Amino acid sequence: MFFKLATKSLSSRRGSVLLTVIAMSVSVYALLGVDHIRSQTKDSFHSTVSGIDLIVGARTGSLNLLLYSVFRIGNPTNNIDWHTYKSIISDPKVGWAIPIALGDSHQGYRVVGTSRDYFEHFSFGNKQKLEFAQGNSFKRVFDVVLGSEVAKKLNYTIGKKIILAHGLGKTSFSLHDDNPFTVVGILRPTGTPVDQSLQVSLEGIEAIHFNSPGSMENSSLENPSTQLLYEPEKITAFMLGLNSRLATFSVQRSINDSPLEPLTAILPGVALSELWQMMGILENTLRLISGLILVAALLGLTAMMLASVRERQREIYLLRVIGAPPVFLFLLIQLEALLVSVASILIGGAGLTLSLNAANDFLSYNYGLHIDALIFSEGSIHYALLVISATALAAAIPALAVYQSAKAK
Amino acid sequence: MFYLKFIFYSGDDTVYLIGLHLFLSVESASIMTIELKNVCFKYPQSPESTVINIKSWAVNQYERIFLHGPSGCGKSTLLNLLSGILRPSSGEILVLSKRLDLMTNRQLDRFRANHIGYIFQQFNLVPYLNAIDNIRLANQFSKKARGSLLQENIVNLLSTLGIEDSDYCKPTEQLSIGQQQRTAIARAMINEPEILIADEPTSSLDKMNRDVFMSELHQMVSETKTTLIFVSHDLSLSDGFDRIDPLSDINS
Repeated sequence: MFFKLATKSLSSRRGSVLLTVIAMSVSVYALLGVDHIRSQTKDSFHSTVSGIDLIVGARTGSLNLLLYSVFRIGNPTNNIDWHTYKSIISDPKVGWAIPIALGDSHQGYRVVGTSRDYFEHFSFGNKQKLEFAQGNSFKRVFDVVLGSEVAKKLNYTIGKKIILAHGLGKTSFSLHDDNPFTVVGILRPTGTPVDQSLQVSLEGIEAIHFNSPGSMENSSLENPSTQLLYEPEKITAFMLGLNSRLATFSVQRSINDSPLEPLTAILPGVALSELWQMMGILENTLRLISGLILVAALLGLTAMMLASVRERQREIYLLRVIGAPPVFLFLLIQLEALLVSVASILIGGAGLTLSLNAANDFLSYNYGLHIDALIFSEGSIHYALLVISATALAAAIPALAVYQSAKAK
Repeated sequence: MFYLKFIFYSGDDTVYLIGLHLFLSVESASIMTIELKNVCFKYPQSPESTVINIKSWAVNQYERIFLHGPSGCGKSTLLNLLSGILRPSSGEILVLSKRLDLMTNRQLDRFRANHIGYIFQQFNLVPYLNAIDNIRLANQFSKKARGSLLQENIVNLLSTLGIEDSDYCKPTEQLSIGQQQRTAIARAMINEPEILIADEPTSSLDKMNRDVFMSELHQMVSETKTTLIFVSHDLSLSDGFDRIDPLSDINS
């Protein structure tokens, strides 16, 4: 009966109640959205690199290097000479190296020129290795391995011939169309930018820029003469795995001080935490704004309830006369506010889930961010509880007003 | 017959005997339902004007009292005192042999829910609830909650009072004033109160509805053996009452 009284009372004032619910829903949407995207971004970024000790690129800021080499965001400042690369990886402390050459694309997806070590040593998430869903690594110059997303979106299968474009963007005019590549492998989904890229050999990258005759198409990478012919001049960056992690800092220093050319070596973990420090300011600003939206919405709720208390003086008196204690009236107002707040959490949460679903493709395509549309996490439950307790606090003002006027009669 | 009453005051760790009352009571022929002794009431906002000052006034069990007086003479205040919504500034109010002026707020709320039915001039029902829910709500606060029988009781009451089945489930704001006032009788009677207080319940009704209301009220009161305090400025409604008390006579 108590519950019925509250719901019927709210529905009898549905105009103002609905507006309040909308305002509250928007604030819940913002609050949960900021928190969810923040934590998911963090997870997504953190799971992109693992098991890599150093990333090396031309002299630049560590964040820039991290972003373009791993996340494929932004552009490299300069290239590294192939001989520099060769001489650095000849250091006995280096266990393995993955060279990376960026700059080409296919249908808006980035092409990564690399070596076969990429599939052997690159790992993500919790030190998981890349795995092939179909086919296997490239063996010939014009072989290509697709990320899962690329294969799915473009509907490519093994054996498909594709043409790479110079530069990024879907509509490049400079196509390397005399050198079609053949799909030989498709990777399993990883939830990292690897899903959005096409992997080819460095020799392949070099070959298409060479403008070489099509006869090279079938040249094997194992054939030493081919390798020599297409030996790359420049690469964009490379990743290193060391034999002993203890050597990380000394190798980093020697690379940074390299006399061959100005280079930057970064520890991905350190660069990531630098990134989070920077993001922290943004995060806190967003959190503050969503907090303020919540405060504004709660003030709206309080104002609506206070106005209703004034309208309902006679109802309050009637309830008193039929025996309702003042506490009952206090709780009635609180319950009404709580119902508004719970409805808002449900609506805001549902809205957020829907829009995350809709934005998922956009985010993963453009930023390589994989945002899970399921917003039920410990964090979101905390926020829901926070909203509910803030509501109880805000509703205490009209509830106390009712309590007082009930007592006075 | 006489008895002693000890009044104790309990301090931090000592109990003081601060008073000793000796009562001498005479068994009266009829049982008093309401008894007022030297009741005085002033609003705290205006302590200089005494609204109610009643030396002595009593209502017997099953009596039907017609309290008559112009508006503004303290009728509503008196009714609020009788139902325990207001407390007297001084004096004793006995209802069903209980001292209302000594009860705690919580006890007063309970007492009112259990023993007193109340009908106003208007706004007797929560407008957005239907008739049945309004009556259920009134039952909620009483200890006489009846569980599964409640629905049956409510329907019986409503049909006795001439409310159509089709109107049971409409929000009461959609009912006519006449229907609302009759539903108010049901709402007031659901907990089988010993006392029914009606404060100008017919003044917003037309002649026909007023006659229906009065006959339903009298019938209900006589069937349930309820003490009735009916307040009105309209003496033409005083048929069927046991006593007509002009308020100006009892309130000096």
